[in-house]
Amino acid sequence: MHHAYIDKFAYQDSPIHRLDARMKLLLLIVFTAVVVALPRTSPAVLACYAVGPFAILVWAKIPLRFALKHILIISPFILVLALSCPLYDRTPVTVLFGPVTWHTSLGWMRCFTIFGKFVVTMLALIALVSTTRFNVLLAALHKLHLPRLLIIQLGFLYRYIFILIDRAQHILRARAGRKMRNLGFKTELKFAAAMLGSLLIRSIDNAENVNIAMRARGFDGNWRTVSKLKIRRADLLFAAAAACFLLTLHFFIRPALR
Amino acid sequence: MHMANELLSVPVAAGTTAIAAAALGFVCKKARQVVTTEKLALMGVLGAFVFAAQMVNFQLPAMPGTSGHMVGAVLLAVILGPHAAAIVMSSVVIIQCLIFQDGGLLALGCNLINMALVPSYVGYFLYRAIAAERHRSLRLYLAAILACVFAMEAGAVLVPVQAALSGVLVVPFRTFLFAMLGVHFLIGLIEGLITLAVLGYLQQVRPDIIPGHLPGNIRLSRKALFATLTVFAIVIAAALSLIASDLPDGLEWSYAERPDQPDFEPMVSKPDSTISAVDDFQAKYSLMPDYSVRTEKLGSAADGESDTAAAWTSFAGVLGSALTMALIWFVAWALRKRQSLKDSPAT
Repeated sequence: MHHAYIDKFAYQDSPIHRLDARMKLLLLIVFTAVVVALPRTSPAVLACYAVGPFAILVWAKIPLRFALKHILIISPFILVLALSCPLYDRTPVTVLFGPVTWHTSLGWMRCFTIFGKFVVTMLALIALVSTTRFNVLLAALHKLHLPRLLIIQLGFLYRYIFILIDRAQHILRARAGRKMRNLGFKTELKFAAAMLGSLLIRSIDNAENVNIAMRARGFDGNWRTVSKLKIRRADLLFAAAAACFLLTLHFFIRPALR
Repeated sequence: MHMANELLSVPVAAGTTAIAAAALGFVCKKARQVVTTEKLALMGVLGAFVFAAQMVNFQLPAMPGTSGHMVGAVLLAVILGPHAAAIVMSSVVIIQCLIFQDGGLLALGCNLINMALVPSYVGYFLYRAIAAERHRSLRLYLAAILACVFAMEAGAVLVPVQAALSGVLVVPFRTFLFAMLGVHFLIGLIEGLITLAVLGYLQQVRPDIIPGHLPGNIRLSRKALFATLTVFAIVIAAALSLIASDLPDGLEWSYAERPDQPDFEPMVSKPDSTISAVDDFQAKYSLMPDYSVRTEKLGSAADGESDTAAAWTSFAGVLGSALTMALIWFVAWALRKRQSLKDSPAT
């Protein structure tokens, strides 16, 4: 296994890791909705909202550099959209920010807000994913009445992603070792097709073996989990704290920061 | 084309999520009749295959430095059938959101519709319709490429529409639409070629995998490639010019009346009470035209003071947040240090 597990920090232990997954998921949805519904031209208030996910990340001992680096990797699409705002919206505004006065356009304000919202919501999402093991998350989704078929599918998928990615990397390395130059589109396409085809065939054969092994152990198409999901006092405390945080920001801080 | 949270307003996100959830529930119900227990493992592993396949890239012609890869919706639909493929692609999109953070949580509904449900069904039925029972090479060739292109475009069209419905779009709707269509036309074409090539390979090596009978050898001649490109360029150019002249901003109704651009002349009136009700609902939740007040105020001296005060509060807000974060980090660091000091003598 050569690549880093993206959710490797989910296997640590901290008070945040021990919280109920359903609670975390619902809080994340509420938080994301609140942040997305914020006005589109005031980046300042976003800094206050960032405190929440930041505190959780620090408390759960997730390295911030990991989170920020990951956000940077996934940001190109949103960056293109954000940077196109200044091109289309040139309404001049004057921003007074403490000691600094800044003459700029509404487009830039929008650009900063879009990117700020992206960073804050992604921090929150990373905070959930890297404090919750995926099988626990699946159990939570099962309890929240997602279709059984989808849950089974997600479970299998997560189990095999990293194995197949590893295999694909072996194939890619083999090609890199043999191919010294660009061979033209047709040949490249043929090579890629052969690589994908052999990967597919191996996956299908693998699946057959997995199926036989699972049937031998009594798998009948039903997903059984030893689910230990229980709302405890810590969960209620956490939810109350999060609610306080959001309500304070909404009613006291947000009106002040125009 | 992963949709981001920031391109959506909360009502649109809720609506698309509801639609996606209902559709997915329906698909799962349908799939229960088709999917046997033996197929469960196959579906799971093929989902993982989609991830791995996206790493296998290849050089594109005429664009040095860029490389293409497969998305896989049509290939899965051909192998597994539409319902199972829709479920597999949905699970891929969900994992991309939860584990790899591609596309936001609020945008999950949109992404499920755009990238999983629509492409699987559009691709499958187009493929079935064109590639008849007795497959012939040319029809198969057309079927794979058309299915991939239209599956891709059908999903891509929805992105600007959803963004426009949210009223978030700053870029003009038509520019965004054409950009999406153009880019995804190329992606779809490459997807079609690679899907076809993989189908050809499978036919040679393991013909039992694909239902139906494919011709023994699918040839990709340079002439055919060139002809396809030309034909598609003409078709798409014609189609785009038709759209451009036929629908003069008909889809822009939602942002034509943006409250934040009062001088923007609305081109379509809203005679329907439902539409205006939806608009009001949306305005209540997503729009806060506070900055327009501020721009009007700029000239007057009386408001200068309150502006300055507001400036200092926002400064204080940002500074306070930064200080809070620093404090949290410092406390955590100090606690951890004490912890490690406590641990070290024992070891």
